[in-house]
Amino acid sequence: MSARAFPATLIQRPVPAAITVMAVIALSSYSVAHFPRSIVAFMLFQASILLLYFSGVTPWLKAILAVLTLGLLMPILGTINGFYLEVAIQVGIFVALALGLNIVVGLAGLLDLGYVAFYAVGAYTWAIFGSPQANRFISETTAQFPLPPEWFFVFLLLGVLTGAMTGILLGIPVLRLRGDYLAIVTLGFGEVIRVLANNLDKPINLTNGPKGITPIQRPPLFFRPVLNLMGIEASPVTLYPLYFYFLVLFIVGVVILVNRRLENSHIGRAWEAIREDEVAAQAMGVPLVRMKLLAFACGASFAGVMGIVFSAKQVFINPESFTFLESIGVLSMVILGGMGSIPGAILGASVVTILNLQVLKGLSLWLNELRNAGVTILGYNLADLPSQFEPAKYERMIFGIILVLMVILRPQGIIPSRRRTRELREK
Amino acid sequence: MAALLEVRRVTKRFGGLTALSRVELELEEGRIASIIGPNGAGKTTLFNILTGIYPPEAGTVSFRGRSVLGLTPDQITALGVCRTFQNIRLFANMTAVENILVGMHSRVPLGLWHVLSRDPKFHREESRLWDRAAELLDVVGLRGKANELARNLPYGDQRRLEVARALASAPTLLLLDEPTAGMTQGEARGLMALLRRLIAEHGLTILLIEHNMRVVMEVSDRVTVLDYGEKIAEGHPTEVQKNPRVVEAYLGRKKWGQAPGPEHA
Amino acid sequence: MDLPLLLGILPEVILDGLILGFMYALIALGYTMVYGVLEFINFAHSEIFVVGAFVGVEILLALKAREWLDVLSPFLVLLLLLAAGMAVSGLLAVTVERVAYRPLRGKPRLIPFISAIGVSFFLQDAIRLFESLWRNAFNLVYPAMDQLNRRFTLTETIDVSVKSLVVILAALVMLWTLHLLVNRTKLGKAIRAVAEDQATASLMGINVNRMISLTFLIGGAMGGAAGVLFGIQYSLINPYTGFVPGIKAFTAAVLGGIGNIPGAMVGGLVLGLLETFAASYFSLLTHGAFGSEYKDIFAFSVLILILIFRPKGLLGEVVRERT
Repeated sequence: MSARAFPATLIQRPVPAAITVMAVIALSSYSVAHFPRSIVAFMLFQASILLLYFSGVTPWLKAILAVLTLGLLMPILGTINGFYLEVAIQVGIFVALALGLNIVVGLAGLLDLGYVAFYAVGAYTWAIFGSPQANRFISETTAQFPLPPEWFFVFLLLGVLTGAMTGILLGIPVLRLRGDYLAIVTLGFGEVIRVLANNLDKPINLTNGPKGITPIQRPPLFFRPVLNLMGIEASPVTLYPLYFYFLVLFIVGVVILVNRRLENSHIGRAWEAIREDEVAAQAMGVPLVRMKLLAFACGASFAGVMGIVFSAKQVFINPESFTFLESIGVLSMVILGGMGSIPGAILGASVVTILNLQVLKGLSLWLNELRNAGVTILGYNLADLPSQFEPAKYERMIFGIILVLMVILRPQGIIPSRRRTRELREK
Repeated sequence: MAALLEVRRVTKRFGGLTALSRVELELEEGRIASIIGPNGAGKTTLFNILTGIYPPEAGTVSFRGRSVLGLTPDQITALGVCRTFQNIRLFANMTAVENILVGMHSRVPLGLWHVLSRDPKFHREESRLWDRAAELLDVVGLRGKANELARNLPYGDQRRLEVARALASAPTLLLLDEPTAGMTQGEARGLMALLRRLIAEHGLTILLIEHNMRVVMEVSDRVTVLDYGEKIAEGHPTEVQKNPRVVEAYLGRKKWGQAPGPEHA
Repeated sequence: MDLPLLLGILPEVILDGLILGFMYALIALGYTMVYGVLEFINFAHSEIFVVGAFVGVEILLALKAREWLDVLSPFLVLLLLLAAGMAVSGLLAVTVERVAYRPLRGKPRLIPFISAIGVSFFLQDAIRLFESLWRNAFNLVYPAMDQLNRRFTLTETIDVSVKSLVVILAALVMLWTLHLLVNRTKLGKAIRAVAEDQATASLMGINVNRMISLTFLIGGAMGGAAGVLFGIQYSLINPYTGFVPGIKAFTAAVLGGIGNIPGAMVGGLVLGLLETFAASYFSLLTHGAFGSEYKDIFAFSVLILILIFRPKGLLGEVVRERT
């Protein structure tokens, strides 16, 4: 064995890989616990999850390790530093969105630039009925709203439905358009939804306009009696982040399952065929409009359900959360990871979210500290740095660079969609 | 008995160009018929009309006594008409077996619910599809290449895969657009033998566009000759061969390979 | 309904509509020319336009700082701004094509389009970065030029500012020059040949890449000029100013028939007028229930409806459908 191949073996052969991965996970978790404010430590932890995915650890052990890391270690670290749990929840939300858009863009090849509209529709669905907002246009006097927290779960299903229905409503007129026009029309649709959200505070106050809606009900803490029985007294302040974390984790799990089942079926194959050659696909019996609508509806339903979760988590929403920027952000996640690739979408969503939430913000904070301390680098006093320069505000630049560099240098993405998920075993 | 396919007075124009002019065609079940004619004669245009890719300006097309005009290509495929393309249009980045599986789409009796729940019916149907796909690969002689990407297959194999993909939709009528183009004489013979076997075993009916005269003369029950969008002759291969208008169209004006019509655009 | 009131503001509404319309027309040219040649939506064109506006404001601020603004003739200043804006935007458009689009030529339609979205976002923040470091501010205001702001009365009810006329005049001159360039010169003929059929054009000895660069140069320059005029007319600019006018100008291009130069003008004017009418009268006609906030929705609806029902546009698109 050459010396060069040595590090590779460490993560490729099952036994050494298992040892390495476990060591890295343990070490990084320990460093997060020890330096709860160090972003670098947390990124190390995140990287260890990535390492686990790519390593050659035996599948069953991999699964156990994944469950342990995401189901146990992450929540524990999240209670040490709440910000990390927030990051994890955001990553989960964007993973679901990226997976949804991946069906539309990656599998079916339809560029949807207004994807965030479906997310908005979901979010407003719960926001309006899960807050006193609905009283303003339904029953001024009886004040039946907000609906009780239990309704949240009904609305999760409703989110799937409203998302799917909005997807179909938008899809019917636009799916006959050629690719670039479709993209522009979906962009227009996304903007229309946002402008409506901004302005439908009159003549009837549906959305409360730019002021947004608050307070939105959070889901019920139905498990609290169980915790009490176990002797755990926890306040909602600590419970809710964990609650949302597991809720998002669960939904992401379902979304991944649905995605994989769709992909490995006649439906997924039909989508791929459409992406490859529409005319041939239709001539071979693939009903174009129906399959495209299905892609739109599936993608939109994931966004719809995450919208419900988002509004409950935030307690407050306004139209600013649903801009074109968000749509492009999700698109850049899909492109970064690899169009049509489920692990790609997950990785893309994680990397971009972490970049935005942690790296850029961290850079801003760090720069401010240096600035306030008046540190001099290469003869330049950082205190002279213009105050308007804040790295945290440069999301667009990140998205832009990702999009351009990826399509030019690596159009298949970081984790290209694995072709031949199932091979024919010849007898 | 009524014909399986009836084309009556079909006319198609592209701008000022008349690609087809009052073309008539009739095809009985279990036969092989060929359409021949110089480039730009309107052969592929006729296929595109039969498969619903675009509508004719005038005329009727009926399959099993039922008009197919106004149906979308996938609906026509579901009725039992499937085709191959002159300029191979496989799903290049999908494997050979996946190409065939897509061809079966209209015969998959599974809904969204089956796919998401993975119930026993799903597994049963899915394994039936894969078995059938393997069979079809065998039939066209692509055994062992199931997991190759379509774009990596050699040219002859791609042609055969297109035939297999079309067969996957279990058609009654198979439309083949120059299936032997680019094949050696030996390969072409092999394919024709296969077609005859399919007719014998599955009661298939075949309409063929072909330039390889030897193939045409050997396999066809009937030959239709198009020139400048008009039918100039029709009949048994030996009759057509002697028809002076056909001889003129082919030899007299020597326009093979010239003046490509809209079908090549 | 208060008819005299509605009629009373009509001339002003039309004038505003024309100004907006010419602005859209100038920007739309960039979209339409590139689409005509490459069948590609240059999504970053809105930022090419904004860069023009920023070049203009930088020059004005520099002149103002040296107190030359009151000395120099405003028309000379205007010419200087236009020339600089056009040069910078034109060159930027050429560079963008070279770096981000050319390597993707021949790929499926959506791939360069995604790249263009990336460029658009990148440029927005690049402008912001530059201005933040340079001026410590990125919401900038065009310094007023008194002589351009002077108004004169046409009739009792209508008065017009000089700059409105200047904007319209400048737009007209540029559109006319472009028309001549494309239809009356050899260079224009070469561009049209490349639009028609790249392979054949190159066989005829036309340097296709150079013609494509030229298309971007001209389209970009028009966008830059529009940016300068936009700044003069509406004063406030920021790095994200381009998005909405960009989408609307694209709407105008589609409305007039994409790839069609006179179409871009017609589409721009129609959209500008429609939008201004909607903004001015919507609120009055619905008694305040729906206000001018809906003017954007109005433009987007036009975009969606035209793409769905008449994608060829009013004057017909000039793009050949390639199969």
